[in-house]
Order: sequence, then C-alpha cells, then structure tokens
Amino acid sequence: MGEITELDALIISAIGFAIVFVVLIILMLIVMLMGLAADKGHVITDKLPKFRNPFKKKETAEEEEAQPLSEPLATGTCGELTLIRTEERDAAMIMAIVADSLGTPLNQLRFVSIRRLDDAQDAEVKQ
Amino acid sequence: MNFSLTSHLLGAAGSNVDYGETFEGLMKSTGFLNLDWGNVVMIVIACFFLFLAIRFKFEPLLLVGIAFGMLLSNIPGPISDWIFHPEFWTSEEVAANGVDYLYVLNNGGLIDILYIGVKTSVYPCLIFLGVGAMTDFEPLLSNPKSLILGAAAQFGIYVAFFLAVCFGFSGPEAASIGIVGGADGPTAIWLTKALAPDLLAAIAIAAYSYMALIPVIQPPIMRLMTTKKERAIVMKPTRKVTKREKILFPIIIIIATCLFLPSVAPLLGCLMLGNLLRECGVTARLSDTAQNALMNIVTICLSVSVGATAHYTTFLTGDTLKIVVLGLVAFTFATVGGLLIGKLMCWLSKGKINPLIGSAGVSAVPMAARVSNLEGLRAKPGNYLLMHAMGPNVAGVIGSAVAAGFFMAVFGPMV
Repeated sequence: MGEITELDALIISAIGFAIVFVVLIILMLIVMLMGLAADKGHVITDKLPKFRNPFKKKETAEEEEAQPLSEPLATGTCGELTLIRTEERDAAMIMAIVADSLGTPLNQLRFVSIRRLDDAQDAEVKQ
Repeated sequence: MNFSLTSHLLGAAGSNVDYGETFEGLMKSTGFLNLDWGNVVMIVIACFFLFLAIRFKFEPLLLVGIAFGMLLSNIPGPISDWIFHPEFWTSEEVAANGVDYLYVLNNGGLIDILYIGVKTSVYPCLIFLGVGAMTDFEPLLSNPKSLILGAAAQFGIYVAFFLAVCFGFSGPEAASIGIVGGADGPTAIWLTKALAPDLLAAIAIAAYSYMALIPVIQPPIMRLMTTKKERAIVMKPTRKVTKREKILFPIIIIIATCLFLPSVAPLLGCLMLGNLLRECGVTARLSDTAQNALMNIVTICLSVSVGATAHYTTFLTGDTLKIVVLGLVAFTFATVGGLLIGKLMCWLSKGKINPLIGSAGVSAVPMAARVSNLEGLRAKPGNYLLMHAMGPNVAGVIGSAVAAGFFMAVFGPMV
C-alpha cells in the first residue's frame, strides 16, 4: 500500500487510534487482574501446604553466629535515620527531592526521621 | 596549480618520483576542490546541532552522535567514500532486490558497516532492551488507568499521519512522520527504516529535537488546557506493588500484546525482556549490562549511523521542512490528547486525578513526567506528581510501540 487518499488516511487514523486504545485497555484489565490476585492471592496461598525449597541452604549455627547483631556506623555518618511508616525507597526519593529543592548536596544534609504525614494527621484527629 | 616545474627540477636532480602528478592528485582529493554549497549548509547545521547538544544539553547522548555523523558524511571530497555510501541502501536496484550485505561488507565504509544495525532493526531493539532494564513499571502497575492516558497521548501520531497525507506524502512516509508524535526515538527509527528509509535522518533528528524541546512545547499547552485548580490537585499515594507482579508483568504483557499485534514483537519483546532481567532478581549482571555498557555502545553506533544518512542531497529538501512542521504538530496534539483524557478522568474521579499527568503519556521518559511534576509544583508548592506521571509516561512507550506495530502491519512488507 503506497499512495493513499485523505479519506483512507482518516479511516486508517481512526482504526489505528482505536486499536491502540483497545490493546492498552486490555493490558489495563490484565494489570488490574494481577493486582487483584496479588491482594487476594494470600487468602488462597495461606490455605495451601507450605512449600519448602529443597535447594535452599540451611544456615549453619556458625554462620548465624558470624553475623554481627548490629553493624557499626560508617565513617562520616551523622547517625541513623528513623523511618516511621515509610518505605526505604520513598525515603530515598524524599531526601533527593529535599536536597534538590534546597540546592544543597545530599551529603551536607542530615535527616533525623521521616514520618508519613497522612498517618500523623489521622493520629491527631483521633486524639 | 602547476607542479610541472617542481617535478622537472626534482627529476633533473635525480628523483624517480613524479611529484607533480602526486601533488596534483593530492590537491584534487582535498575537500576544497569538491566543495558544494550543500556541504557548507550541512556542516553549519551539524555544528549548530553540536552547539545545541553541548551548550543547552538537548538530548546530548544522541544529538552529539547524530550531528557528528552528519558532519562526517557531508565533508566534501573522497572522504565520503571511506565513510558512507547512500547508494548501497536507497538506490532503485536495492529497492527491487534488497540490500546485498556481502557487497556492503566488502566495499562499504565505516558507517556502512554500522548502518547494518539500523537496517536490520538491531539497534532500536537493543535500545529498547536497555530502556526496559532501566524502567520501573511500578507506577503503572499501581495505577493501571495510566494505560488509558498512554493510549490517549498517541492522538498526535494519527493527526500528523493524516496531515502528512494531505501534504502529499505516501502512506508509508506519512506513517513514519506520524510516529514522531510518539516521542520515542527508537520506535521512530524502527518504523522509518522499514517504511521510508529516505526520510530516516530527518525523522530521527525531528524526533530527538522535539523530545529535547518538551519542556518548552508542553507547558504552554498544559496551562492553556487546564485550570489552576485542576493543576493543584494533590493525588493520593498509590498501592504497593509486589515483586511477583513485577516479574509477571513483562511475561503476561508480551504474550497478550503479541497475540493481538505480532508486528510489535521485536520492540516490545526487547522492552519486556529488559524489564524481566531487571525484575527477576537473578540476572543482575545482565540487567546492568543492558542498562549501561550495551545501551551506551548501541547509542553510539545508532546515533552516528543515523546522522550520517543526512547527506545534503537527501536532507536539504522541502520534505525535511514539512517533517519539522509535522513533528511539532504531532507533539502538540499528543499533549492535547493526553490532557483531554486526563481532564475526563479528573471529572469522572470527582477531582482525584490531576489532568497534568495526561501530558506525560507522550513517551519521552522521563522528561514528560518531569514536566508534569514541575507544572504541578508551580500550581501548588509541594504537589509532587512525578510518581503519578511516570505511569502514563511508561504506558506511552507501550502505546507508541503498538501504534508503530499497527503502521507496520498496514504498510510494512507482507509476511
């Protein structure tokens, strides 16, 4: 198919746009189903017998002992950061945003704790 | 210049070499005697692109290579024989019988050899492998409605396609021009090399230039189409996605998409393979290579070889100007399409969805999402939309690949 008329172009455009929508809506439904299965899936898996991985090595008593209980702080650190109901990934993102907004390098800032605002507000309302 | 006197004198002194002939040949082979106005214009354009890439950081990773390739292939004189032979790829004989790769390997220049990767679609697909390995689909998985915004933003592709036909381009050429609106360089190159190889340089340059100009093109349209109240909408955090979902996503998506549109298999297959390498957790080394070393090598080969195709004989034409205009139209309508559906979703959700994330549906990752985030912050300080905009942004990558697959199915070689 080489030369096409304006009418053909209009029809092909309409069909093409519709196909993009249909394919992506189908993908959306699949992703939604996956999400639903992930949320509700534990109800079924909890009832199934526990699967033991035969290839997984058992940790020996020596290896367990070799692991230190608390890691020493790295050189130059300003202490630990307390995360309250915040994922490490979200905390890293927040710290990067704050550093960017302030225009100060991240290694010159000290974060003491990060707490989810929604939870804090909810708590205040309940009190 | 006459070297006969020098030659005569040296000959009389006992020299056996005809220096006159040697110097005359050397003089004839220089670029100065082969200079054409087109060479000068293209060298100026190439230097301008280098300036934009280096001074203003306009997609520098690609534009530096493209501009340098353009510079190399437009230097006048026999240097072109050592670099690139357009006739190996776009002559009538090639159109009839296909490319003779053995002949290219035996007689081609440096860029001819590199261009094999473009012609065989290897580079765009490998770039998609790297993009997949670099992309976190979590924002999309946590908010699947983002896929609708990713589809809506492909509106620009079809508007530009229709207008290109009205401007006198053939169907395959119009499809290649339209795909610029997908704001996805590898997809544009993948489709154009198959449907309209003559336009490859102009389309690739238009696509990457406009992608770099997204922070300039999109904000006025975003402010025009949304109210300040809409732009200030703060979206709630989305749900947490499990590792299992992230692993299953690329596998299920590639099966589902290829069942509907097999022509997207090369592009989406590589995108999803790259993402699986990233998410499965047992191929960290491969994921790292795909994201860094492989991606960088392929980017160099792709950009230089695409830039070299911009020879003045094919680039300095009225068609290039039309492509530049249509590319801008495509980007504008892509943004409009995303924003319109964004506004619709905002209305349907009773103000829970910020329509600004719709414009991120054009797939220039992550530039478009960052522009949405910036506009959200301008409307209301602290209104960070980045994670919400990343959903439509990565959905746009899938959307533009599907649109390219559709054009390939309609205008591409019959299987």
